Amino acid sequence: MKPDINIALLNAAQEIINRFSPLIDDEYEKSRLSSWGAIILISAMKFNDSSSSLKQENADILDWLLKFTNLDEDDISEYGYEVTSEIQDISLMDTDNQILRGLLDRQIIVLEGNGDTEGLKASYTLMRAMHGRRKVSDLVGLLQQSES
Amino acid sequence: MPEELSSLFLSYYSKLIEKECILLSFERIFGGASRETYKIEVGHDVNKIERLILRVTQDSSLIETDQKTEYLAYSAYQDSSVPVPVLLDMSEDSDILGAPFMLMKELQGAAASPFTPNVYSPHEVELGEQFWSILGEIAKKEIQEDIFKSFLSELKEPCWKNELDKWAKVVHEDSIGVEPILEAGIRSLYKNPPKEPERITMVHGDYRSGNFLYLENQITGILDWEMAHLGNPLEDLAWALSPIWSWQDKERPAYLIEKEQAIEIWQNSSNINLDRKDLEWWELFAAIKGMAIWISAGNEFKSGKNIDPINLFSAWIPGDIHLEVILDFLEDRL
Repeated sequence: MKPDINIALLNAAQEIINRFSPLIDDEYEKSRLSSWGAIILISAMKFNDSSSSLKQENADILDWLLKFTNLDEDDISEYGYEVTSEIQDISLMDTDNQILRGLLDRQIIVLEGNGDTEGLKASYTLMRAMHGRRKVSDLVGLLQQSES
Repeated sequence: MPEELSSLFLSYYSKLIEKECILLSFERIFGGASRETYKIEVGHDVNKIERLILRVTQDSSLIETDQKTEYLAYSAYQDSSVPVPVLLDMSEDSDILGAPFMLMKELQGAAASPFTPNVYSPHEVELGEQFWSILGEIAKKEIQEDIFKSFLSELKEPCWKNELDKWAKVVHEDSIGVEPILEAGIRSLYKNPPKEPERITMVHGDYRSGNFLYLENQITGILDWEMAHLGNPLEDLAWALSPIWSWQDKERPAYLIEKEQAIEIWQNSSNINLDRKDLEWWELFAAIKGMAIWISAGNEFKSGKNIDPINLFSAWIPGDIHLEVILDFLEDRL
């Protein structure tokens, strides 16, 4: 077993923040390098989950569309999303994700127009779950710790 | 670039004050994505040292704003109860320093990171009282007629639509992908507009924690007026109150004093009796405007136009926070 990519990134971030940044006298360059360290740190923390999170997000949107809208699998396929495909490549999953997000947005407009509170409530729950998996803002505390 | 800029600056400044000068220091300050800001020490005569701040327009900046806007806004509050730096010069052309710029005297004090909790401790109460009171003073001030007229051309009424159209356009032009939360937030604002203000005032445009200087328990300067415009004073209040500026302690906006106390101080200082429903609209608007700025930053980074890490950081952290704020609003309104 080789060390994982996220471990490599974590160590790189630590080296940048604790070892190289203090060597720089110019305040601007020092802050800029430390910011790169923080960004690498965040990337390392999210790296392992990014693919599975995207896959889950696509599955969740699809479930919601089938449950709370009039769209069926054929309708969704017409927009370019292959409901039955088992895509593993992250860039293709990302393309699918944009198709599904576009459909979600359009269907929320329909629910708003119909005053469908239940459907809207379910869409907010879905969007909160999507946001929860994607967000990196929960790492702010960690960044502050690394800076200090 | 800094070496070239520093020598250009030295020659320009010697000409401006009609004295031979020597450059003692010329340092770029980190942060801010619309201007490059330099802290400068210049010596002339015997033992005379001047501390200056130079703001230079960037080749690639998030929100395109004229140097003149910021200069006029600072001009409007010179010698007023709103502490601002003394202005020395401004140029809108690129002949002198290679880009438009503005020159000011440096004020004493430091600016804090808006994302650090308890950063103002143990002076958060005194600073909080000043912070909200000064914001009220900005709204209360009668703006000199010629300056008011300069800003008037940008004003289209209703104010809320003028601002919402502007920022929604940025969102739709710069978005890298579809964000249903943000789109739902924008629709909600268009569907439930606020009332127009009784009086059009100067709006700072980015009044928040991190954009003021302080020295222990005293606010010494209000900075970063490049997004100043005429409009509804609730826009500034809502932006400053946004939970993003006190994400780890939402009860104390800007990590200063409690929200209700802040609003009361602002009302007393501005002489404006606010409508809570209208404030709520502007609070949701603040999150949309924030998203537009963070999306714009992400676009600059992704396109390679400006790979300053602050642009990526803006798209990631503040972008996440404001999306969550929008979702909170939507759920509360359902």
